[in-house]
Amino acid sequence: MKQTIWTKPIYYIVAFLFASISLYPIILMILSSFKPNMEIMMSPLSLPKSFSLQTYQNLLDRVPFMTYFYNSVFVSVVSVLLILITTSLAAFYIARYTFWWNNVLFFIFLMGMMIPIKLGIVPLFMLMKDLGLTNSLWSLILMYTATGIPLSILILTGFFRTMPAELEEAARIDGATDLRILWNVVLPLMRPALGTVMIINFIQSWNDFFFPLIFITDDLKKTIPVGMLSLFGEYSADWGALFAGLTLSSLPMMILFFIASKQFMEGLTAGAVK
Amino acid sequence: MQTEINPEVITQKTHKKRKRWGIHLFPIPALVIYGMFIVYPLVAALAYSFYDWKGIKKGAFIGLENYKNLFTAEPFSGMFWNAFGHNFLYFAVQMVVQNGLAFFLAFIIYQKIRGAEFFKLAYFLPRLLSVIVVGFLWKLILNPNFGALNVLLGKMGLENLKKAWLGDPDTALLAIILVNCWFGIGFAVLIFLAGFQAIPKELIEAGRLDGAKGFTMIRTIMLPLMMPSITIMTVLTFIQSFEAFELVYAMQGSQGEPYRSTDTLAVYFYRLAFGGSTGDSTAIGLGSALAVVLFIFISIVTAFYLKSMQKKQVEM
Amino acid sequence: MKKLGKLWLFGLFTLILVLATACSNDKGGTEKTEGTPKDDDTKKEAVTLTIGSWRTEDTAKYEKVIAEFNKKNPDIKVEFKPSKNTEYNTILNTALQSGEGPDIIHLRPYAPGIALADAGYLEPLDGVTGLDVFPEAALNASKGTDGKQYGVPLNMSTTQMFYNKKIFKDNGLKEPKTWDEFIKLAQTLKDKKIVPIALGSKEGWLLSAAHGIFGPAHYGGNEFVEKITKGETNFNSPEFVNSIKAMDELKKFFPDNYEGLGMEDIRTLFATGTAAMFPMGSWEIEVVRGLNPDIEIGFFPMPSAIGKEATITAWVDGSFAVNAKSKHKEEAKKFMEFLATKEFATLFTNEFKMISAMPGVKSQDELVTGLSEAVEKISTPYMMVVHFAGGNPTSKATLETELQGMYLGKQTPEGAAKKVQENAETWFKPFQQ
Repeated sequence: MKQTIWTKPIYYIVAFLFASISLYPIILMILSSFKPNMEIMMSPLSLPKSFSLQTYQNLLDRVPFMTYFYNSVFVSVVSVLLILITTSLAAFYIARYTFWWNNVLFFIFLMGMMIPIKLGIVPLFMLMKDLGLTNSLWSLILMYTATGIPLSILILTGFFRTMPAELEEAARIDGATDLRILWNVVLPLMRPALGTVMIINFIQSWNDFFFPLIFITDDLKKTIPVGMLSLFGEYSADWGALFAGLTLSSLPMMILFFIASKQFMEGLTAGAVK
Repeated sequence: MQTEINPEVITQKTHKKRKRWGIHLFPIPALVIYGMFIVYPLVAALAYSFYDWKGIKKGAFIGLENYKNLFTAEPFSGMFWNAFGHNFLYFAVQMVVQNGLAFFLAFIIYQKIRGAEFFKLAYFLPRLLSVIVVGFLWKLILNPNFGALNVLLGKMGLENLKKAWLGDPDTALLAIILVNCWFGIGFAVLIFLAGFQAIPKELIEAGRLDGAKGFTMIRTIMLPLMMPSITIMTVLTFIQSFEAFELVYAMQGSQGEPYRSTDTLAVYFYRLAFGGSTGDSTAIGLGSALAVVLFIFISIVTAFYLKSMQKKQVEM
Repeated sequence: MKKLGKLWLFGLFTLILVLATACSNDKGGTEKTEGTPKDDDTKKEAVTLTIGSWRTEDTAKYEKVIAEFNKKNPDIKVEFKPSKNTEYNTILNTALQSGEGPDIIHLRPYAPGIALADAGYLEPLDGVTGLDVFPEAALNASKGTDGKQYGVPLNMSTTQMFYNKKIFKDNGLKEPKTWDEFIKLAQTLKDKKIVPIALGSKEGWLLSAAHGIFGPAHYGGNEFVEKITKGETNFNSPEFVNSIKAMDELKKFFPDNYEGLGMEDIRTLFATGTAAMFPMGSWEIEVVRGLNPDIEIGFFPMPSAIGKEATITAWVDGSFAVNAKSKHKEEAKKFMEFLATKEFATLFTNEFKMISAMPGVKSQDELVTGLSEAVEKISTPYMMVVHFAGGNPTSKATLETELQGMYLGKQTPEGAAKKVQENAETWFKPFQQ
């Protein structure tokens, strides 16, 4: 860009403006969770008059939150691992080889995004029943892995294609196997794309509530969103409690993200340096 | 790209063949899981569209009757085209507002401004929330009487801009789409940023030495190299806007209220296949037919787009 | 190196295989290790029944009901497992279609519930005794088209005009005896800058519910319902069109921005004393009291505009049925019999603060008692739910959409009535002759 004295300030103003639009509703949610119902209605924008954790205490007494949390972590971590392994292999195959069927394969994977999976819920339910997986966390893991595959292949294939072929050629001449090339050459260069895939799938499996709603009936097997969802009906008139519930179900994700973001962002920049 | 044209030592050829065999195993794990839990149930369910359904009980085989009804019988065809238009608007607004802004914001972050990490985090934070939370939160903010937006407008002296945002058919859909942009922008920023960062520094340097500046630089050097990420976001936005469901459902329910002004094809599908929220009647046959039509439409457009992008890239 | 590469691949496959097999073992394994502390199957012969329902808010109350049931049936364990109301049908339908589902099903009233019975997913309650205490009208909510009884009616819901007693007293207002008095009353409130009627049009179901209250005052209650269900009149008739027109005229008494207000908003307006009247169902009484424990709620039947009797709108709002695929049908039927006892009805009325479907059960709550007395004297059915919840989209849903359109200025009362008639003609037998 042509650098004038105005360029940088304009960048900052725009960046700040949109950062505040992004953050404000979330801050509002957290603040509102400390307010009693009437205060939310009468003065929605003001700071809470007093901070009390009572609502949170009540909520935590009602539900086995730690169990939900453990289930959510387990389901999300395992699905993300499975997605990363399966899709980086598949995307590498699609992006770096030119068999005639590769485009077809790519498109078949993409098709999974083009039709609402809810359509297949009855056959899925029967399949899970036959596999003995209803009421098991593995039904969720398999679903999240399967539903995460299309988007991940789209992203990874796109980025794998941008990698200059020469690097790979060099390794190939050195006699490296395909797997070694993928592991040692391609993946390290693709850390930003992998990071993106990881994060997006983690969030997706963390926040989904449709599959647990259908597959899980045992309260102790529920994940956070569906566990908390059942509270919303009870508190539909108590917005303070509702906001506490919303905050409580979002907070673990945010904390995890803040902890992981350092590694994640380093991954991003490391990729950029190369 | 091509490994085979490599004129290097022909002795390696036998070697390569063995390797080639192993490589075909690479997509298998993904295919197995995908085939079992996506392809199989969907194909099984697609057959539903050829049957007559009495509530949730499968009736007789009726061929393409459901498809015919979807397009010729009222109110189904009216609802279809109404929803189709909304999906199109969804796509257009998301492309311009979400992806346009995200491209610019990613470019700003790429300029190594101070606090880049903070901005990245901030834009991405909404994406961490569950759609239910997002829908609920914004319903409150857009509430005509207690909502933060109208209160804020009031305080700024803009009384006449206050509106029942989600109750007015002229603003409801747009409001939802903009909330979706708010939700999705962080992801688009990440994709574009990854795209910028994948541009080899040498090329930019070379361009700079050639005297490319400002927008010329962006257009002639960066934009072509950004095509993979732009393609990804376009395909993704297209598919997601035509599958738009969760946020609309969380904010306006399954009826596309008010007065069908926020109805989308996927919400319409849900209404047909699962009934309304209080156990309204279902039309599983029609719903499945709608899903098939939606699928065919999306896949044709996507295939066409990808094909043309591929051609362009080959030309480059 | 090469060997290693292949090994990796095999490792991957075994990993996936192990995971896949682990899945099937996982179920038994975790149950043993995590083990729910309360219910170890010490007694092998003990049967466990599950109840599926959309009433998540009633979990604690159902535990009391179950405890009462267990006094006489100690060897039948019952678990109440509700799901979120908006997704209840999706969950239930999926499970039923796959041959699963809870043993005892909380059934939506009339058409949707009957559809499940007609599709063969429910067990007819042939041998269940005690059902004769319920009036025919209540049993109809879960009677299959084959004439068999499939559900035990649980509760009556009523819709009527609630009002804030304090606001009425402070302004010297009395319950209206005629429609004109009602309009005058609303105007007086409006002049005093009090919102007369807390109603919004953002959620369609609020509008059909409100029409259930205001409509009978114009189309003339039960007489009209009888005629229309025989096909002797229809929705294009002046009586019905007038009922829609009346709804349109009432909008001047709605709160500001009413087109953007949903259930939470209008409830808050009424509970905070901002609005004086609240056209709503009996199920909201406890919710409003929860928001504002000091509020004194009264109700009045809707006075007729055409010189008939004032009416209160009532219908069966839920029944319990037995899953045809249940492994414990006999035990489930025992629970059905328990639901038909006076002990249960009394417990239900007092705990849930709702009107039992069983006549003559007195509540300790003055307001609820007042309502149930009115139901026995001057009730009219919620016509759209009881008779017109069929079709796709349902006639009820069509009315909701069109009323919404009318309040947004995109539909006329005549046009709305016409759309409902067109919809009903696609499925309602008496209209097809």
